[in-house]
Amino acid sequence: MPLIVNKDLCTSCGVCVERCTMDIIRLDDEGFPYIKYDECWYCGVCEEDCPVNAVVIDLPFLVK
Amino acid sequence: MNLETDILVIGGGSAGTMAAIVAKEQNPDADVTILEKGEINRSGSIARGMDALNIVVQPGITTPELYMNSARIATEGIVDYKPSYVMAERSYSILKRLEGWGIRFPRDEENKYISLQVHAKGSFLLEMDSPELKLVLAEKVKEAGVRVVNRTIVTKLLVNNGEVNGAMGFNIRTGEFVVCKAKATILSNGGCARFSLPNSGYLYGTFDYPGNAGDGYSLAYRAGAQLTGFEYTNCSPLIKDINCPLLYITLTRGAEIVNALGETIDLEYVSTQRMLKELREGRGPVFIKMNHLSEERIQEIERILFSVERPIQKRFWENRGVDFREGLIELGETEYQLCGGHGLTGIVVNEKAETTLKGLYAAGDVACVPLQHLTGAFVFGEVAAEEAVKFVSNKEHSKIDQNLINDEEQRLLKVLENNKTGTISVQDFEYKVRRTIGDYVVPPKNETKLNRFLWWLPRFRKEMTNIRITDHHELSRFEEIQFILDCAELSVHASLARKESRWGWFHHRTDYPEKDDENWLKHVVLAKGLKSGEVQTVLVPIDDGGDP
Repeated sequence: MPLIVNKDLCTSCGVCVERCTMDIIRLDDEGFPYIKYDECWYCGVCEEDCPVNAVVIDLPFLVK
Repeated sequence: MNLETDILVIGGGSAGTMAAIVAKEQNPDADVTILEKGEINRSGSIARGMDALNIVVQPGITTPELYMNSARIATEGIVDYKPSYVMAERSYSILKRLEGWGIRFPRDEENKYISLQVHAKGSFLLEMDSPELKLVLAEKVKEAGVRVVNRTIVTKLLVNNGEVNGAMGFNIRTGEFVVCKAKATILSNGGCARFSLPNSGYLYGTFDYPGNAGDGYSLAYRAGAQLTGFEYTNCSPLIKDINCPLLYITLTRGAEIVNALGETIDLEYVSTQRMLKELREGRGPVFIKMNHLSEERIQEIERILFSVERPIQKRFWENRGVDFREGLIELGETEYQLCGGHGLTGIVVNEKAETTLKGLYAAGDVACVPLQHLTGAFVFGEVAAEEAVKFVSNKEHSKIDQNLINDEEQRLLKVLENNKTGTISVQDFEYKVRRTIGDYVVPPKNETKLNRFLWWLPRFRKEMTNIRITDHHELSRFEEIQFILDCAELSVHASLARKESRWGWFHHRTDYPEKDDENWLKHVVLAKGLKSGEVQTVLVPIDDGGDP
């Protein structure tokens, strides 16, 4: 999973879900974001727009 | 969702936001709607900002005529005079508009804009320091009172008697069917970034924003508009594996290109084709070398690369243990794409952004204003809006055949129902389509090879009934595969029609290896033939503006 979430910081606000350029992030049952569709372009919008810096993208194995 | 609007903008990226803002400026009473596949604050090709405005003609320094000389060289003559001239002429006012909105263009100690020469003649590229560019544009759209409908993919234009009257599509999360009737429609939904496969093998690891799947090309083609330049399948030498750009930022600050033999490659200006040639002729890998630069320069390069456009590069280099002060940066060839900004491909438009269909305008990467980059998107966003506002004044909504709407809704519902039990994943299907594009549609080309794709094409279209679709997100990817297939079909027909080689490697035919200006200095224009399913190609003279 290429999205690393700091659960201590994340407030489940959903900004990353709203802003994702490929619309691939969703919140899980506990309200934490995860990548539902394996289509990340690592644009970094989720990281940049997260108000509490709780998410970090890990590059896909094929790319990094 | 049923909407009625005066001006519909399809795609809220650079060109689309500008078009919507300017339409409201021109007529604050006009009702303007943007249908956006992503979310407008961070959508299109500039979601994380942009570090340069590629073409700016500064009064007293350069001229539109000088730009046209450069454009002719860069396109090998495949450029119409008027649209590119208008872009150059209006580029400075775009710069001033952006400055007025708080976008920063750095100046030197003499208070002149910092410009870089990446064209054959003249220094047209202006540095821009703007990670927030898209947020600013989205804010202006909001202030202007434009209606924005996010997460909506357009699947078909509404056409009646050769006039475009709006569009249909659906919300990619909820599946809600969206119909938007419009008096004028501006297409600004990008090029086709997902064409052949990236060398990494990762479907979405493309250079350009992968949300652009050739949507606009396909929509315009199916509606009956003319398109051109589809034989110019192009790629770039960028950071190997991650496909992020860095050429202009580094090379214009003293970095050098060296090949595997340790030879420095002499670049008169940033010629990507020259670098690609080294790779093809076996002198690769090719590297960017920066270890001779001062610490100050390196820090400046790092600051730009790691904050604007594709900041993820920082993590990429850290992971690989590469420091610009010591290591070499390996360049690789990106996937092939079709694009009006980086290439010569798009919907045929004139200097008024008018397509060949009444009521339909096109701006940005979707339109053929060769090598227009971000400047072209903004200028033709403005132009399209001005023309659309004039077109809709005192115009009533056209009567729309309800059957068109019902048919499209039923088609989508049928795919959802039928494909529930499909056995092939959307990603596997797209992988094979794009692998096959890489096998047969991109250079080096020849007739037999190109025809192999036409053997595959009907098989792919038939096999699409076996794609498994479990939600509307996957349905949107299914629609995008259709767009990619349409783009490939158009590209094959254009490549077959142009029986010469042109634009360096990008349309290199081994069965017609020479460039032939006498017979082929013209456009290959594509349109839907009268028989359904048939692509028609026509040769059209270049408008050289009376200056051949």
